[in-house]
Order: sequence, then structure tokens, then C-alpha cells
Amino acid sequence: MRVLGPLYMAFCVVLLALPIAVVCGAALNGGRSMFFPPRDPTLARFGEFFVSEPVWTQALVNSVIVAVGAALLAVLLAWPVAYLLWSTGSKLSRTLAALGSMPFAVPPIVFGVGLGFFWGFLGGLGAIWAGIFSHAVLLMALPLVTISIGLQGIDRSHLDAAATMGATEAVTFRTVILPQTIPYTISGFFFVLVLSFNEFIVMFFVSASGFATVTLQIFNSLRNGYTPTMAVAAITFIGVSVLVFSAVARWGDLPRLMGADQSRN
Amino acid sequence: MTAVERIEAEMPDRPARARPTPRRILPWLLSVVIGVLCVVPFLLVIAISFGRKIEGAAWQWDFTLANYQRFFVGALWPDEVTFLYLQQLGFSFWYAVIASLLAVLTALPFTLLLTRLSRRAQAAWLVFILSSLSLSEVFIVMGWDILLSNNSGLPALIKSTGLTQWLKDVGWFQTLRDWGLASPRNVKFKTSQFATILTMSYLVWPYAVILLYPALSRLDRSQSEAARTMGAGGWTVARTVILPAIRLPLFGSTLLLFVFLLGTYVAVTVFAAPAQHTTAVAIYSNIRGANLNAPFGATQAVILLLAAGLCLTLGHRLNRWAEAR
Amino acid sequence: MSGLVLKGISKSFGGTRAVDRVNLTFAEGQLTALLGPSGCGKTTLLRMIAGLEAPSSGSLLLGGRDITGLPAHKRKFGMVFQSFALFPHLTVRDNVAYSLHISGASRTEAAETAKRLLDLVQLSAFGDRRIGALSGGQRQRVAIARALAQEPEVFLLDEPMSALDAKLREEMQVELRLLQQRLGITTVVVTHDQREAMTMADSIVVMSNGRVEQVGSPQDIYHHPDNAFVADFIGKANFFDGVTEPGGIRVGPMHLSAKPNFVRGSPVRVAIRPERACLDDEPGENRLSAKVTFVRDLGPVREYHLDTPLGAMVVENAPGEVRKSLVIGDRTEVRLPPEALHLFPDPQAAVAAE
Repeated sequence: MRVLGPLYMAFCVVLLALPIAVVCGAALNGGRSMFFPPRDPTLARFGEFFVSEPVWTQALVNSVIVAVGAALLAVLLAWPVAYLLWSTGSKLSRTLAALGSMPFAVPPIVFGVGLGFFWGFLGGLGAIWAGIFSHAVLLMALPLVTISIGLQGIDRSHLDAAATMGATEAVTFRTVILPQTIPYTISGFFFVLVLSFNEFIVMFFVSASGFATVTLQIFNSLRNGYTPTMAVAAITFIGVSVLVFSAVARWGDLPRLMGADQSRN
Repeated sequence: MTAVERIEAEMPDRPARARPTPRRILPWLLSVVIGVLCVVPFLLVIAISFGRKIEGAAWQWDFTLANYQRFFVGALWPDEVTFLYLQQLGFSFWYAVIASLLAVLTALPFTLLLTRLSRRAQAAWLVFILSSLSLSEVFIVMGWDILLSNNSGLPALIKSTGLTQWLKDVGWFQTLRDWGLASPRNVKFKTSQFATILTMSYLVWPYAVILLYPALSRLDRSQSEAARTMGAGGWTVARTVILPAIRLPLFGSTLLLFVFLLGTYVAVTVFAAPAQHTTAVAIYSNIRGANLNAPFGATQAVILLLAAGLCLTLGHRLNRWAEAR
Repeated sequence: MSGLVLKGISKSFGGTRAVDRVNLTFAEGQLTALLGPSGCGKTTLLRMIAGLEAPSSGSLLLGGRDITGLPAHKRKFGMVFQSFALFPHLTVRDNVAYSLHISGASRTEAAETAKRLLDLVQLSAFGDRRIGALSGGQRQRVAIARALAQEPEVFLLDEPMSALDAKLREEMQVELRLLQQRLGITTVVVTHDQREAMTMADSIVVMSNGRVEQVGSPQDIYHHPDNAFVADFIGKANFFDGVTEPGGIRVGPMHLSAKPNFVRGSPVRVAIRPERACLDDEPGENRLSAKVTFVRDLGPVREYHLDTPLGAMVVENAPGEVRKSLVIGDRTEVRLPPEALHLFPDPQAAVAAE
């Protein structure tokens, strides 16, 4: 076991990293086709993706708008549900939490189809705000979980203590509950940000070709084959994910967020 | 101010409780918002699945079971019976079952090893796992596509290293051809079920780790140690102590990943032969693709959802039944 | 009349009565300990005093005014919690100044108060620390300072020593008592530790099963317990079940001289403190033959476990003990002075005896 264990972990990592490494390498191709190992290594594709190709720069802007908007909105939607669940534990709050998590739990293509119809009726089809709402609802389950974990970490005697010192419920919320749950709220925000960045099936049905995010743009041009510029997009996205999760790990308790036992180190 | 003065000053405020407080409005407001955003889309899918397609136009509201009939026995029933759509659902299940099992079984030892590391090391690993988890399906498929494509990637590598020739010499090449993993000239992975399932499994592997992580990190290590002191070896401990303790999360994770994989789209379109496409692909082509038959697409979505729900319920029952025994 | 008065306070959770018709008066400036085994309702009672729990019935009066309906944040009784409940996201100073911050006091006023209180609990140098960087004893001082910052009418402490180790606990009991006397603040301490209650309290309220068993000074409660529960819970006691008869009590085959003020034939519980039994050779009543079954020598105290015709009993620090050096198996005589015997009515014992 002592030798086999690390060996198995290494094997898993190599397999996990393999396609990612291949994509990264392909981004350096000089020509229009994907080769691995790359031919004519160049960084020109990065320029295309970030600066010169309007298709990609616009998609990148859209991706950022949708991801940030959806993350904000998801946190705003999840907070009251999580708070209600934690403070009352009522049947209503449990139902709301279950319904709020449902879109994330079913195959995304089904929810995407539903949202396509939904925005069709409301006139939001193809509008970027509908995209923001869609991702916020789809990914609301994540901040719901992280904020709930944060709230559960609050010692109920803290609330009593605040009350005996003259704090009303509103003041307690502002001075005790909110500050202690901020790391968890931010974690939830970032989880939505990253997953929204990478999601495309729901966005495909909602955008109705009205706008394109980066992943959607790649999805749409699948038939025409891959280009090295797409690989640049992939690298960018991996980079953002690693950065965001590193930040969460650095300033939050990642093992606890993932459900590790608290008492052990 | 003494407490008594304070009491006097505040007494008149007390009947103010009757005012509508945020505490009362909030649940109602939330119920409406959540209801509209999370539930209505699903209701629309169900409602439209009973609708009717109009040739040359879009579709209209109706209450017809024609779409469901078409799904199960084909449009021309009773003159002609086709099981094309059932077959697609069958492929959805087949890919999802194998891929989720593969992912959970390979992620299990990895996660177990992960939980034995220090907290810091665990955090670092989790960053890596989460990053690959959030990576878009399009990028993953792109990576595997390059790796498995016939002109470059693994087949080319196998050929150039002479492995193909060696396989032909020892006669295993024919076996690979029987399995659909080789063309007359070289091994090939596109299109094959192998590549489809491999990619799908890869897709959910980080999810499997994340889902198993809480249960495994809560395993009481002293139980394993107790078994050790009673003379149990590594495998015996795994079989008699660890596995029974995590049977439930193991089963639950597989089920969740299975449901998630039912909706896989890109991996199937890229790696599976058109005859072996899934319901998800059919939904796509009906709603936004070539077929443009929204009600029928909705029907397929409903059936996919029902199938997923049925599996979850059955799994839940089975679990309870196993618990009760 | 000042001070805090509880009138017929009851609290039910579902079907169970946690607190049952409690009437108490907490005199102004005094320290009262609510003492009882866990689950006796003492913490629930304290939480009702704080306003964190609403009584099912009864009323609370502060300085003669009814405060029953007043929520905790309007009572502002300073409270120290069992876990201390210090806010981990604030510094020590901000924790102490919390009540001033939220009541809209000026920055300078809050800072001055925090400084004064940190001086009071000797933590002036720790103002900028995080709570996580403090030891258990320091946390307790912060919790006390924080509860006092709002200059409360009543100061409440819920098992304040339970998170501390044994040595520190004894020190802090003395320190807390001195502080309370200096400030002259009406204080209620919940504890299950009789030593702690006797160290600190002016008055002890012994509770069990949601009821008040006895109220009195520590000496009162120790030397004159009202009932068998109090005698058993406060200090140690040897118990025998018997029936009154002229001039004494019959316990099993033995007659014990005592002064029963019960009707003849009443079932009673007899209690005697381990240090009131005598191992001396003085003549007197109630001499029993005894066999030593165990000796616990703790250094300053030596404890003999004896087997007597009345049953097993423990004798400790008894008069005459020093002169004898008994070992297991030795035979001796033990004397139970009639004035040392406490008699309590005990219907249950009578049922068991027959």
C-alpha cells in the first residue's frame, strides 16, 4: 500500500492532466489546425483571442458579464433561502431549498429546454440578462450549500450573547451572522462564477444565437473543427479556475466546504 | 439610563408587532421567485410535451399523446413499429451507467488516499480537482478528441511505434476490430463506445471525488486500526470495515453521476457513431437542431427526466430495503 | 423594593416541565448561585431571567416593575455563556465594546469603556488580539468584561468555569467573587459544582427537577439541609432508611437515639456527614461495631469505608481518627452523635422497607 498508494494517485493525476496538457500544447500551433505536439510554436493565438478577433473578444466580454452577473444574483437568491432554512428550519424553507437545488440536480439539457420555452414566453430569449438569470437559477444550489455550511458554523449562543448586549435581530444579523458567513458567501460566489464560465448547454438554449459566450462560441463551431484559438480559450478558463479555487483555499476552508470532518487536521 | 427607565421608554412600542415585518414578507416573496424561476420552466416542458407541431411553422398548444406514442412505438404505429427513440434512451442509460460506475470505482481509492494526507495537501489537491471539475465539457472533449483522433494522437503514436504491426502479428488486431476499435489499417477510437464512455467517465471523475470526499474524510480511522489489532490485513480492513461504512455514499454518488451523465451531449456527438446517439442528442436536434419539433423534444426531455427520477426513487427504495435487512 | 423577583415562573417544553412554579428573590448587589444537577432547569431559569426564553407562566419583576414581556435586547442583562460565545470575527477590544458600538455610542466613549474594562480584568495588553489567540482563562475574562461593558442591572453567568481546567477554575472563582463584590452588582451564577457555589455565593438556590429545593446561605445549606436531596447533593452524606419510634429511629435491627419531630412510625431517611461520625472512644449513644473495608488516604484527609449493622458508610476527618491507624479488615467502633443526625421524611423508603 505504501508504494501503491502514491503510484495510483500519480496515475490518476497524469490521466486527469493529459487532455488538459494536450489542449494547452495545441494553443501554440502556428497554423489554423490543431496538432499535438504543436507545429510552428507561436503565441499569436493569444493575441487573437484577447485582442484582435472580435468574435472571441466579444464572447469573452459576454462570458464575464454572464458569470459575474449570475454569481451575484445566485448569491442574492441563495442567501434568504439559506437564512430561512437555518433560522426556522420550517417545512416551507426546506421545500424552497429543495426547489432551488432542483435545476442543478437534473440533467442540464432538460432545464435548458425549459428555460428556452420560459424566456420565449417572457421575451427574454437571446437577451444577455436572461442568460444571467438562467445561470443564476441553475447554479443557485452552490451558494445555497456554502452559505448553509457557513450558517451552521455559527454558535447559536453568539446570537443569545448579542441579544443580551442589546442587539435586535437586524443588528445581530449585520454584526454577528453576516461577518461570520462572508467567507462562505464569497466561496459560493466563486463557485457560480467558475461554473457559469464553463457552462454552455443551458446558455445554448437561452441565447438562441442572440449572443455567445466563449464556451458557447466553441460549441457552435464544433462542426467546423477546432482551431488553436479555442485552445487559448481553454487555457484561459483553466487558469481562471485554478486562480479562483486557490483563492478560496487560501482565504476559506476548502476541506470544510467540501465536507471534510472539522475535528481532524 | 437604567433598565427601568429603558423599559418605560420602550413599552409603547410593543403593539407594533402587528406590522408586516420582513420576516413575514420574505418567505412569500421567495416562494414566488423560486417558484417562477425553478419550477415554471419544468412545467412548461411538461405542458409543451403534449403540444402539436405545425408543418412549416412552430408548434401550438394542444393535449395530444401523439408525441409519447411516437417515442415508444414510432410515428406510424400501428402500421409500423420502430423503437428508434427507445433505443436512444437505452444508449443514454448504457453510457451513463458504465461511465458513472467506472468513475466512482476508480475515484474511490484515490479519494481514500487523499483523505489520509495533511489538511494543506488536501486543500491543494482539491484546488486541482475542482479546477478540472469546472472545466467545460467542450474543452474536455476537445482534449480527448485531439488525443484520440485518427490522424494525430494515440492511433498515430501506436502506429509509429510499431505497436500496430505487433498487434497484427500476434493476432490481437482482429479482436480489436471485432470490438470496433480498429479500422483495417490501424487502431481507431473515433467513433467508438470506448471513447464515448472514457470521456464521459473523465467528465464526472472529479465530481466522484468531491462526492465521496465528505464520507471518506469522516471515516473513523480508529475502526480500521481496531480491525488491524485484531489481525485484519489491508484488504480485509477495506472489505470488512471501510466498504460497509461507505456503501451508502458510494451508491448515492454513482446514482447522482448517472443522472448527470444522462444529459451529456458533446461527448456523444463527437465520439459515438450516429446510430448510437442518445436521447440528449435527439432533444437538441428537435429543439434547436435540424428537426425543429419542439413538442417532441419536450416529450423526450420529460421522459429523460422521468427515467432519471425513477432511477433515483428506485435507488432510494433499494437502499432503504438494504438498510432494513 | 429593589432586586429581581420571580413569581410563579414555569416553563414547559412540549410535555415536559423544565421549570416548575419557581418563586425567588435575588437581593440587590448579592451573588446568588443556582445549583443543581444537569437537567434540573437551572439554565432554563437563567435564560428566562435574561429574556432569551419566555416563561410559560409567571412573571419577572425588576425593581418592582414587570419585565416579563421585555425581550433580551431590551433587558440588556450582561451574560457570560458556557462557551463564552465570543465573536471570532472581532478583536478582543471590539468584543468588549460590542454593546456600545451597536447602541450608537461614540467611538471615543466605546474605546474608553473597553480600555477601562480590559484593565479591570487585567487584559489591557490584549486588546488587538483575535479571540482564537487567547487561552481559556483569558477568554473567560474577555467574556466577563464584555458582559459588564453595558453596565447591566443584573449580571448572569451560565456555568462560567466549565471550560476551564480545575486549577484555573479555583482561581477564577475567587477572582470573580472579588470583582463582583467590588462592583456590587446583582449577580446570578448557574453551576452544578457545589464547591464553586459555596466559594462565590451569598445565597445558594438548590434546584432539582425544575423545582427549588432550598434557598439559603452556603453554611445554612450545608449544615441544615431541608431535605434528603439537598443533603445528598451538597457535600457527602451517609444515608440510612428507618422508621421513627419513641426516643429515636429504628434502622433495620438497630435503635438509634435521635430527636425525631415526626409522628411515631413515620418512615424517615437518616443522613450523617462523614466528618460528624466519631471514631473516638468517648462514651455516648449510638455506638456501632464496624469493620474497615477500604481506606483512602489522600494526604490531608483520610477516608474510611466501614461495614456496620446499618449498612456501608464512609467516615472522613472524624474526631478521634488521628489516634487510630486502621487498615482494611480492622474492627472498630463508630459513634453517631444524635445531634449530627439529620432526619427527613421519606415516603418512598417506607414503601421499600415493607
